[in-house]
Amino acid sequence: METVYSSARGDTLQTELAELGRQTGVDGLLLLATPSVDVTTDRFASILRSLPVPVCGGLFPQVIADGERYESGLLAIGLPTEPTITTVSELSDADTDLDASLPTKGSEAAFVFVDAYADPDGVGSLIDALFRTYSVGLSVVGGGAGRLHDEGPCLFTADGVIEDAAVMAVVDQPMGIGVRHGWEELAGPFRVTDATGGTIKALDGEPAFEVYKNAIETSTDATLRRESFFETAAAYPFGIGRLDGEPIVRDPFAVDDEAITCFGPVPEGEFVTVLSGEPDALIDAAEQAADTARNTEAGTDDAGTLCVFDCISRQLYLRESFDREMRAIDTPAVPMVGALTIGEIANDGTGHLDYYNKTAVVAAVSEDA
Amino acid sequence: MPERQQRVQALYEIALSIGGKETLEETADTALAGYLRKLNCSVGGIFRATAEGYEPTATIPADPTGNDLLSAAIDRVAAVSDEALPLHAEPTPDTHYYLFLLPEFGVLVIGKQGGEIDTATRSALTPLNEKLAEACRNKLVERRFREQRNRFEAVFDAIPEPIANTVVENGTERIVASNSEFDRTFGTTTKPPNTTVPSDLEAADTESAGHSRPINTDTDDRRITTETTCETVGGTGEFLFHGVPVDSERAAEYIHLYVDITEQKHKTETLQRYERLVENLPIGVYRTTPGADGEFKLVNQGLVDILGADSKDYFETRPVSDIYADPADRKEFSDRLLAEGAVDNVKLKFETAAGNQIWGEVSGIVTETDDGPVFELAVQDITTRKERDQQLDVLNRVLRHNLRNALNVIDGSATMLENQLSGDNEDLNNHVERIERRVSNLEELSEKAVTVRSLFDQGRSTTTACDVQALLTRVAEEFEDRHPEACVAVDTPEESLYVNADVRLKMALSELVSNAVVHNDRSTPEVSVTSKTVERDGEQAVEVVISDNGPGIPEHERQAIESGEETPLQHGTGLGLWLVYWAMSLLGGDIHIDDADAGTRIVLRLPQVGISDPQQSDGATGMTINSGD
Repeated sequence: METVYSSARGDTLQTELAELGRQTGVDGLLLLATPSVDVTTDRFASILRSLPVPVCGGLFPQVIADGERYESGLLAIGLPTEPTITTVSELSDADTDLDASLPTKGSEAAFVFVDAYADPDGVGSLIDALFRTYSVGLSVVGGGAGRLHDEGPCLFTADGVIEDAAVMAVVDQPMGIGVRHGWEELAGPFRVTDATGGTIKALDGEPAFEVYKNAIETSTDATLRRESFFETAAAYPFGIGRLDGEPIVRDPFAVDDEAITCFGPVPEGEFVTVLSGEPDALIDAAEQAADTARNTEAGTDDAGTLCVFDCISRQLYLRESFDREMRAIDTPAVPMVGALTIGEIANDGTGHLDYYNKTAVVAAVSEDA
Repeated sequence: MPERQQRVQALYEIALSIGGKETLEETADTALAGYLRKLNCSVGGIFRATAEGYEPTATIPADPTGNDLLSAAIDRVAAVSDEALPLHAEPTPDTHYYLFLLPEFGVLVIGKQGGEIDTATRSALTPLNEKLAEACRNKLVERRFREQRNRFEAVFDAIPEPIANTVVENGTERIVASNSEFDRTFGTTTKPPNTTVPSDLEAADTESAGHSRPINTDTDDRRITTETTCETVGGTGEFLFHGVPVDSERAAEYIHLYVDITEQKHKTETLQRYERLVENLPIGVYRTTPGADGEFKLVNQGLVDILGADSKDYFETRPVSDIYADPADRKEFSDRLLAEGAVDNVKLKFETAAGNQIWGEVSGIVTETDDGPVFELAVQDITTRKERDQQLDVLNRVLRHNLRNALNVIDGSATMLENQLSGDNEDLNNHVERIERRVSNLEELSEKAVTVRSLFDQGRSTTTACDVQALLTRVAEEFEDRHPEACVAVDTPEESLYVNADVRLKMALSELVSNAVVHNDRSTPEVSVTSKTVERDGEQAVEVVISDNGPGIPEHERQAIESGEETPLQHGTGLGLWLVYWAMSLLGGDIHIDDADAGTRIVLRLPQVGISDPQQSDGATGMTINSGD
């Protein structure tokens, strides 16, 4: 897939994107922008409208182009077949008929981006609807869009820039997908006895923050303080268990009184564990994800591009070690592009479709439809 | 975390996803998603066993036909027996499907790619599957109840009569549901309209609270049916109330149905009034079968009275022909009525119970019933009228023939006597002259008697229209020719005014003008005739006024005409004004004699008719134009 990374703005950006859109073998554009691009301006909307091919994308904390991370600029990925672009708006509205919003079947894969700050139950409902409708019949990769510390419109198509929504580009290219995180159980399990959406209010019938703090402070040397909650919690996410697979990671990012809020839904009644991660284990997991993606039937046939959606919180946790993770995923044979997202979406073609946190999702996208 | 603990957690979390949903499909879909999520599986389905095979209740993906693994599992479901479950198969390398029995509901299918569900977990799923089956069965029962409830509610609302569901709690009955017709009739209320079904219907077999008159109270099935008067949105109404208890665990629950019988009651009351009226009519009303003999089906008291029978029983075994003076007339009448469908005023001779013959005027129609045609008949005893007609015929003949002949003889004798008297015998001459004058008056009276007879011979109806203006002008001209000393002035509007009239109007006008001229004591009799349109009883009428300068009409004669009857103390001197009175009456008009300072002022009024083309007969009304002659 042809890609262009640009730090240009205005007319220059428009020209570069239009030229990519007009290239032979480019029938659609996937745009991954960083917060340095003000996607809320009319100018940006007009650029989107002016592009010669269908377009969709989102704004992410960082983007990956040619194996390198960028905190600014915009990555444009040329899709070799015309994508079906779908917008699911008002994701937080419980009455939205998600099943009816989804495109009909018949394609191989889909890039799905959601507003990371949309209601977690809405995000969960979208993921459920995608799984119920397609199961493993459609390979799905993507993640949560948005600025790390700021809500706002973060998704876009040629129709404009939106929030509290999801955008979806269904393509005919097969892709092999690998999903791993490498986090290990530290403490628990704890039953979620009071939760709403992504907010855990009580664990085992006790205030969630107290239980979580005790779990961390009993098992590690770390001290959890409310004022530095995000920094400490980044190393100790929650895991929702499932048989025959890694637990689903939920990344706690805020505390309000005794309630802890995560990216992604945490269903009441389920069991969670507190996870911890050794950098080497996390990096190994990412490498395994890449290997899985490349080694599946769809990934090995004619993989032309490695699309990576890795969690920004892994980068915040691993810091300088994160570049090792990038190198572990990267391979000289194919270009590596992608974004550091706030939550990841994937099914690997063999298992369940889920919304993850702190997870490395790697898709080996075939050149041929 | 130990594998066993992880399994227990996963199974617990699957259990959380079972139940608590609204419908069978939602229950199955949510549970299936829970199974797949916690077992990290990719496809699955819940299938319900039916008489025709297995029907999908929920599948993931929604369309299973595109997934080879699920399709293979579904094919196996169709062929497998319950005894063979649970079942595991690997249709292609590293893809597995599992079929689990959902007791008394169907089969659960789970498909996994890239791994297996271990044996311990599969075994541990059994109680969850039973729980899922129970939840699905419950939802199925709920769905059937819901469908039944929906059907009940559809019927409830489709019933065109007011219907309400009530419960009695703490001695108070309140409405918990009602159909739209109930709300329209009684308004939106929780209080039953003027009816209270007592909680103990056992006590309601004699008198039901709020119900005016129980018709049927079946204490075995505790139903009640009664007529009742209820307040409605529009006032009050009569209803046939049905109270049906509902077999319920609640204290007392009922279905109330109100059939509006207000109109039916009014019709019944009206019918009863008509029946009383018919029963008490002074004419005979009866129903018979057709035929030469005929059978009485119904008679009223009027017929009993007319025929002097003891009671209605008189007619029970008697053929209809028995009441005819000549039974052969019955056959002729029956044939005619059957042929024409209706007859009016047929005069027939009947025989009373005492054997006396009477005259009856019969009208009737043929009515079709389930048992064939019947005659609906009314007979009026016209014996007295018939005898009076005979008297009139005889008197008319006496006036017209015998009296005139006698007068002719007297007149001739008087003339001979006058010729033989000398001119100096003044007294005798005066006597002869008086005889001749009286004879002339009597002759004139006889003529008028004949004229009166002809008035009535023409009946009451006429289909001809008369131009009043032209008629008045012609009458005036005729009198001026005959009485040049008189002045007859006609003042009428330019446009023609038409009334329903024939020659009788001219007879009446001529009589009035003649009276005004002949009985006028002035040297120059002056008669004024005018016409105009006026309103009479809300209808347009033509008013003709004849005024003269004569001596006026005597008070007693005027009172006789205006009251319409003569008495020995209040009678006229002749037939002239009566002739006018009868002519106007027969033509649908009236006559008024007004007070005047001098002379007489007589006002005639007749209904005006519209004529679109005076030159032609009026095709719309069938009316022809006449000149009044």
